[in-house]
Amino acid sequence: MENKQNKRAQQEMIGFVLIVVIVTIAAVVFLVISLRNKPAEQQNVEVENMLTAMFTYTTECAISNDDYDDLEDLLKSCYDNKKCENNGKMACDYLEGLLKEIMPDLIKTESQINYYELQAFHRTLEGANSRNIIKTLVNENMKCSGKIMSAQKNIAVDSGSLIVRLSFCYGD
Amino acid sequence: MKNNKAQFKIQQMAFMILAVFLFFILIGLGFLSFQTKSLQGNYQQLQMDQAISSLQVLTDMPELSCGYLCLDEDKLRVMSRKSEQYAQFWPVASIKVYKVYPAFDSLIKCPTANCNYFEIYDSNQQNTQEYSTYISLCKRVKEQDNIYDKCEIGKLVVGVKIKQTE
Repeated sequence: MENKQNKRAQQEMIGFVLIVVIVTIAAVVFLVISLRNKPAEQQNVEVENMLTAMFTYTTECAISNDDYDDLEDLLKSCYDNKKCENNGKMACDYLEGLLKEIMPDLIKTESQINYYELQAFHRTLEGANSRNIIKTLVNENMKCSGKIMSAQKNIAVDSGSLIVRLSFCYGD
Repeated sequence: MKNNKAQFKIQQMAFMILAVFLFFILIGLGFLSFQTKSLQGNYQQLQMDQAISSLQVLTDMPELSCGYLCLDEDKLRVMSRKSEQYAQFWPVASIKVYKVYPAFDSLIKCPTANCNYFEIYDSNQQNTQEYSTYISLCKRVKEQDNIYDKCEIGKLVVGVKIKQTE
């Protein structure tokens, strides 16, 4: 009689432990999935305004007759593989150097941003990404753990469009 | 004796159900608070976006503007000298414009040589919240015989009075 009671108690304990184990596994799986999900990228007005302001910046690269390119024209000149006549530099080299200078200065004014990524590439009329205009610029050794805010601008060229995409990570 | 045992069993079962119920309620509460937090974050972001969009109203004003998200440096120079005359004109508590790129080491208030900061208007009000957006800051320059618009990157900072909720 006592043996039977012991067995029943053991069965109940096993049942309880099973429930706890199942619930714990479910919670762990849920946590892992939610932590693994990359933070969703959101379109942001502030980043879009930053891109707009950057595009109108007057550079010191004149392709012809002291007519200085703004950043948007410089991107087109880079795509067309042109040269800055006033300083002898290739438009692409000058553009890359300039962006490397501009980005950290812009980031300095935003205390919440800890990571950025700037891409510029050509997209054909058929919608295929054909080539990068500049190497993707990122501040190295940084990882995004917060919210990603981004904006994109398209510049029309005869063979499609040049796409510039800027993303920021607003850290917690 | 048997009745007592059955009662004890029922009690045990009831406690077990109650414990499981409470456990799931706790999980639910945790999930709800997580959802509310992200909803609040989205709400704040939307409000911020709305405030930044309304800054575009200021950048479109002919007294300052030279195009889309573009402020005319020459106009800013004039308006910063006339901040008292225009005090009633501005729909906000303060308007400041900073040059962001090319970068600078210290703030020099305009209008002076090599300045990098315009104070268009400041009502010196307390309880204000500042919103900012990037703009291009353009001026007409003459280099040898060449006249062109030179644009730099700036930031428009606008102070808005915080509404007191009753």
